[in-house]
Amino acid sequence: MNSTVKPSSLADVAHAKPAKVSVARALGTGLETRGVHAWFGKHHALSNISLDFAAGTVTALIGPSGCGKSTFIRTINRMHEFISGAAMAGEVLLDGKDIYAPGIDVTKIRLQIGMVFQKPNPFPSMTIGENVLSGLKLAQIKVHNKEELLEESLERAGLWSEVKDRLGAHGGSLSGGQQQRLCIARALAVGPQVILMDEPCSALDPGSTLRIEETIRQLSETMTIIIVTHNMQQAARVSDYTAFFLSEGGPGQMIEVAPTSEIFSRPKDQRTENYVTGRFG
Amino acid sequence: MALIRSVFQDELDSVSQSLVDLTSMVAKAMERATTAIIDCDLKIAEEIILEDEKIDNYQHDIDARIIDIIARQQPVASDLRALVTALRMGSDLERMGDLAHHVAKIARLRHPDKAVPLELEQIITAMGLAAVKLTNKTGIVISTRNTEMALEVERDDDKIDNLHRQLIGILIEPQWKYGIETAIDLTLLGRYYERYADHAVSISRRVYFLVTGKYA
Repeated sequence: MNSTVKPSSLADVAHAKPAKVSVARALGTGLETRGVHAWFGKHHALSNISLDFAAGTVTALIGPSGCGKSTFIRTINRMHEFISGAAMAGEVLLDGKDIYAPGIDVTKIRLQIGMVFQKPNPFPSMTIGENVLSGLKLAQIKVHNKEELLEESLERAGLWSEVKDRLGAHGGSLSGGQQQRLCIARALAVGPQVILMDEPCSALDPGSTLRIEETIRQLSETMTIIIVTHNMQQAARVSDYTAFFLSEGGPGQMIEVAPTSEIFSRPKDQRTENYVTGRFG
Repeated sequence: MALIRSVFQDELDSVSQSLVDLTSMVAKAMERATTAIIDCDLKIAEEIILEDEKIDNYQHDIDARIIDIIARQQPVASDLRALVTALRMGSDLERMGDLAHHVAKIARLRHPDKAVPLELEQIITAMGLAAVKLTNKTGIVISTRNTEMALEVERDDDKIDNLHRQLIGILIEPQWKYGIETAIDLTLLGRYYERYADHAVSISRRVYFLVTGKYA
């Protein structure tokens, strides 16, 4: 985390959350984006996003559909470039190193920056245990203590007590909320520093949503989390910081970023106020 | 982009209008309580005593509506400030109604005698007039959310504080000739008007906070 305050910077995070500093250090210095732009062919989708995500914090990205939130997080783990004709500019720094620098191994980046999607997507024919460890297998990472890692990942995802007696059951046999926590466990098993979540609860019932939110809060003690959500109450409940994105005809821009309590009590920009109070969107 | 949530906005506007109405009710109550105490009018005094229940019920209704809006609409930012502030303003207004009720009770207690000696009528009338004027201005502050006027209410309150000090000065003079009972009545009356005006000031400050997010 840089100590100097930049435009749209969250540089005060370290001071705001001193209890998490030691964990944050162990996990690196967090993630920063500098002047990120994204295009789909000629369509300029996202303009000049500079944000800091301190280690050990949860940042919520909010804004109406089409404002570039999902595109933005897809630039963070280099998934944006999967799309034909997609391009980006700017820097994404993990522990101060640009993940777009020449020679960077994209697979390794995605091990460090995991993603959980809107719809739970466990491998249906794999067992619960195989699902959790599938990332290791795909990345050809060898571990000696698989059982321990399996338990730890499921425990951190808040699912262990519910599945410990049926690790051999298929992932598809779980409820929607459990499947989503299984996906979180799968992302955790490869030891990421950052987890990106793209509307992780939008397909879930309220009880499962609250369980995932609790998991997010617990995980935030040991990692950096960025969550895209359309649920304003969810952003208010789980995040330390909230960034508001908006497209006003042109590319999506970041209008305002601040501690979540400020965004939901005294936002500075009238457009943020109108959005969080539900006056448009 | 078109603005939405018109039903929610109507509910917020309706709470604000109810506060303006309640302000007008407590202003009227104090205006009539002053008439009752100066003119020694038992009928008016009894009406005010009975009508205080209406003011209480009106405030309970506003509270219930606000709780319902918070539960169903999950307001944030300026909407949340407006509703939390409205809860507290309702409580201030209810208390102002109580103070008008207390003034009326002194009038009833002393009837058919006058609670206020002729020599002090002018100062009590002046306190009553200033308090009602201040409250009517507060109603405009609630309705228009005019922060300049909110600060004016605070300045206007100084006039009532001065009258209050003047009244206490008279009561503690060695040549006081109206006895202890009257001195107690007037001490209480002075206090009621002064507190009544303080609640109006407090409401205006809340409007200032609601608009700016800062305390005046």
